[in-house]
Amino acid sequence: MTVQLLSANHAAALAATLAGRANRTGRGFCSGVYPITPSTECAEYLCLQEIEKGRVVRVESEHSAMGVCIGASASGARAFTVTASNGLAYMAENCIVAASLRLPIVLVVANRTIGPPWNLWTDHGDALLLRDAGIIQLFCADNQEVFDSVLAAFRLAEDAAVMMPVMVCMDGFILSHASAPTEIPSQEQVDRFLPPAVVPHRLGQGSHTLGQIEVPHQTEVHRLQHHAAMLGVPERYAAVQEAFAAVFGRRMPDALDTYRTEDADALVVSMGTIGATAERAVDILRARGQRVGAVRVRMFRPLPAEALRRVFAGRWRIAVIDRDVSLGFGGVLWGEVRALADTGAVVQNYLAGLGGGDVRPEHIIGMLDDLLPRREAGVPELVEAG
Amino acid sequence: MHQQSQAGLAETAVLPAGLRFPLEVRVHGRGGQGGVTCAKLIATLYSQMGLSVQTFGDYGSERTGAPVAAYTRVDRTTIANRNKIYHPDHLLVLDDGLLGAQVLSGAGQGALLLLNSRRGMAGFGERFPHCRLGVVDATSIAREHGIGSASLVIVNTTLLGAYVRMLGLPLDVLERAYASLGLEEDFAAARHAFDAVETREVADAEAEAVEAVAPSAPVAPLTGHFADTPPNLLTGAWSTQTPIYRTQAAPCNLACPAGNDVVGFIQALKSGGADAALGILLGTQPLPSVCGRVCPAPCMHACNRKSFDGAVNIRSLERWIADHATLPPERRKAERPRRVAVVGGGPAGLSAAYHLAVRGHEVSLFEAAPALGGVLRNGIPVFRLPRDVLQADIDRILALGVQAHCDGRLGGEEVRRLAETHDAVIVCTGFGGENALAVPGGELAGVEQGLAFLARAARAPETVAGHVLVVGGGNTAIDCARTALRCGAASVKLVYRRAREDMPAIGEEIEEAEAEGLRVLAHRQPVAFTGEGAVAAAVLAEVEAGAPDASGRRRPVVSGRTTTAPCDKVLLALGQRQELDLLPEGWEMRGARAWRDGTALAVWFAGDCATGEGTVAHAIGNGRRAALAALANLSAATAEAEPEPGVPVAPAEIRFSHFDVMPPHRDRQVAPLARRENFAESNQGLGGPEEADRCFSCGHCTLCDTCLFYCPDAVIHRAEGGYRVDEDYCKGCGMCVAECPRNAMEMREKGS
Repeated sequence: MTVQLLSANHAAALAATLAGRANRTGRGFCSGVYPITPSTECAEYLCLQEIEKGRVVRVESEHSAMGVCIGASASGARAFTVTASNGLAYMAENCIVAASLRLPIVLVVANRTIGPPWNLWTDHGDALLLRDAGIIQLFCADNQEVFDSVLAAFRLAEDAAVMMPVMVCMDGFILSHASAPTEIPSQEQVDRFLPPAVVPHRLGQGSHTLGQIEVPHQTEVHRLQHHAAMLGVPERYAAVQEAFAAVFGRRMPDALDTYRTEDADALVVSMGTIGATAERAVDILRARGQRVGAVRVRMFRPLPAEALRRVFAGRWRIAVIDRDVSLGFGGVLWGEVRALADTGAVVQNYLAGLGGGDVRPEHIIGMLDDLLPRREAGVPELVEAG
Repeated sequence: MHQQSQAGLAETAVLPAGLRFPLEVRVHGRGGQGGVTCAKLIATLYSQMGLSVQTFGDYGSERTGAPVAAYTRVDRTTIANRNKIYHPDHLLVLDDGLLGAQVLSGAGQGALLLLNSRRGMAGFGERFPHCRLGVVDATSIAREHGIGSASLVIVNTTLLGAYVRMLGLPLDVLERAYASLGLEEDFAAARHAFDAVETREVADAEAEAVEAVAPSAPVAPLTGHFADTPPNLLTGAWSTQTPIYRTQAAPCNLACPAGNDVVGFIQALKSGGADAALGILLGTQPLPSVCGRVCPAPCMHACNRKSFDGAVNIRSLERWIADHATLPPERRKAERPRRVAVVGGGPAGLSAAYHLAVRGHEVSLFEAAPALGGVLRNGIPVFRLPRDVLQADIDRILALGVQAHCDGRLGGEEVRRLAETHDAVIVCTGFGGENALAVPGGELAGVEQGLAFLARAARAPETVAGHVLVVGGGNTAIDCARTALRCGAASVKLVYRRAREDMPAIGEEIEEAEAEGLRVLAHRQPVAFTGEGAVAAAVLAEVEAGAPDASGRRRPVVSGRTTTAPCDKVLLALGQRQELDLLPEGWEMRGARAWRDGTALAVWFAGDCATGEGTVAHAIGNGRRAALAALANLSAATAEAEPEPGVPVAPAEIRFSHFDVMPPHRDRQVAPLARRENFAESNQGLGGPEEADRCFSCGHCTLCDTCLFYCPDAVIHRAEGGYRVDEDYCKGCGMCVAECPRNAMEMREKGS
């Protein structure tokens, strides 16, 4: 175990490299990559690594990058790619193919606003495009979490009861380009955590095709199987957390990460790095004597609904911060979680940090100042963070 | 000033006094200066003290030259928040041109402000009284230590030396940090800045800190938005450097002993055809048909394309130009025509005569042999240099009015008279006698000098029977071998005392000779010839490679191991002596000039008689320089300067990625067995001028538009046969310089 000062882009690439090498006794590793800001450094770093029985294929588009991963995974290799923003939009068709073929591919997304207007900075609109595709989605709040999540994503995706792609999201620039000390385990530890991948339905074992045409009933059953597997993910995630702690000696955050919520009257719910900044806002408000807590939805798909219900129980003021907007509706996260609060609770939506606006503790304090006197929730509020 | 490490911190921890946590550091610079890395280096520094760190850049869509900020947050506990830094405790500014309200915003009472500036502390007067101020000229220091690239100086690692000094930390903290990052090479510059930084404590504790932050620009509705960038944002003001176009010496040009503008004639061939190219060639030398056939082409050994996909076939391009151009040289009018005598009609004499005549002077050329040409006519066989080709080059010189006087060998007395009756005399009589081989049996019939054999073969058909042994490794040796093969030799072996790759002969010539049947015996030397009356065998000793000599080649050491090779003829090609037998009584040669009684005479020496350099190209260059020296001596006002040598463009300075791999066009050769049958020219030269397309044009702009295409701001425009850079909008990113395929641009600091 060493500690390195790494950007999250490099940390993600290093995790993929270690995972790739861990499959040297299995059917190897393959990654199709195509660059797009702010994920490019991850692909670049990966291209520089020597991976035994591994291959990084530089292709001409994101669509093909995922195509390479589909082919590799369908033949039993461990597969990885990285993209962002409109790149993910272009990759989307094949992401859905990968999910529906139940291939355990790990995809890192350096979240970036979808354009136009062209914008380089973070918001979550890109990943949320694929909310319903049958892909597990994890949103990270710091560099170590990105590294850990990529490693864990392989184990989760390749779990026989899960067997589907995992998307690990990191806020563009705020994480992708920020450096922080990151604990890097040894290859031997990673080998123990990630046994050789087994894709039970891989090609090349007798006559067998993937994704052929089906009659309605077959598709109905396959969709329900996928849905059931998705619903079982929180339980499998907990098992991965335990295995992770046993091998690496540190705990990976829960699917729902909570901060000082035990005695809180009001909660602020968010995803990604805003959740980390919210902790600082909670500290400041606690110092003023206000009992507030922070909830970070780390696993967005499948949504840890039960855990959310438990933490929402008895809280009457809940601020939900969305770094996204479902146009004509409001925040996507708010839409998901508002029904999980107690009847009568004020669940107010704040749209903040769109297009990469810098959400600071004072913005979050301002939201709580707005929330606490409310007797009922209003329409989603736009907070300009510039 | 520093306190000892505290419990819980890493063992190396030496925490500076007076730090409050969380500590927030903001770095301002321009894209490309290394601001983001600077913040990361600061994070490394604090991380090594056992503190938690977080560091990130504030990235924009602007590229190099645009203002950028980077941040480092330091704390004793885990850092949660991920927002930017608005109230920095430490503010580092990599470029003082950025100083303004926005950069200074939020820096409160007692903030540390470190500026990279050439202006020194005095240049800031009473400004920033609320800050602890440090000023250092990191740019000059970094440049002195060679940090950065040809297009940009990187100042971050240097500036940190000054930062560490302001923190009151010992320098070894930084040394360790740089060692851990593999930046050992940058440490000397940091030490320099550590010593050089000027500092000032807070001058006025009551002074008001600048707090103003520029308001956000109003956002227009997308559907009603017509204008993009404000038209008056002159981004050129951001830059400290600007690109310039400048010509740099090409290695081929520097390597050419004749002083040819190789890049010039190849590019002229591409753009203006053979006549245009010949015009450039005739500026330096009058024998392009000759050099295009027999030059060992040092230009091709120096060619930067050699390390890419093979040197440009420059020799054959010169031949192609000479064979296809029809342009006669134009005799210029001399302001004051001089009378000059040139003694010797070989390449040096022809060159001197040409350069004098083309400048409008009156030239008498004296040659001992019945026809002009010297070694070109008597030494080089016709299958390498056909006589009509040689004559065409000579006729071009004579057409300028040169008066040739052949078939008369001059002695010292005649030279003295020429000096009295002419404004200047140039003596180019070539080498003296041939080097002999002092071994037993050297006097046997059938052992003779190769040059004598070649001269005989050039005059009349010569028949050779039996086995021939050639001794030597130069072009004369190869010429002897190939001539002997054509004259009917049953076999020809060449004996050379060093390795085959050490042979001075042109590589292609050796290969062609071997294709015709020559066998090269390297590491051999004859130690005796035997035979009854006539030579019948040579005793060849094995030669070992000893210690390197002054030329870098390994000194041959003759061993006692010998073999005997039967032979019927031995041709010696061991080089020639430099000697001058026509110096009049009382004259001496000093440098390349004649002196008498301590006085310099208007008599110059050129070519092998003066230098012994031994190639046609050297003789041509030497003849020209002697002619120009003689003219300059007669009239300083019209003296022509030779181009400055300069530093040649190196292969690493060529952007290979801009060029496609395109192997050289080879000369067309007559099949070896067919060409052995006669004396017709065996090398047919290039099939066309396409080889010119392979020239990188090192250091010489070809108007290829790469700079224009790569400029991210579209500020480079075609203008006046070149380019114009719009400095109002050039951000000085250096991308054009970095992308120039041929190193014909560089970045200059503004105002320098």
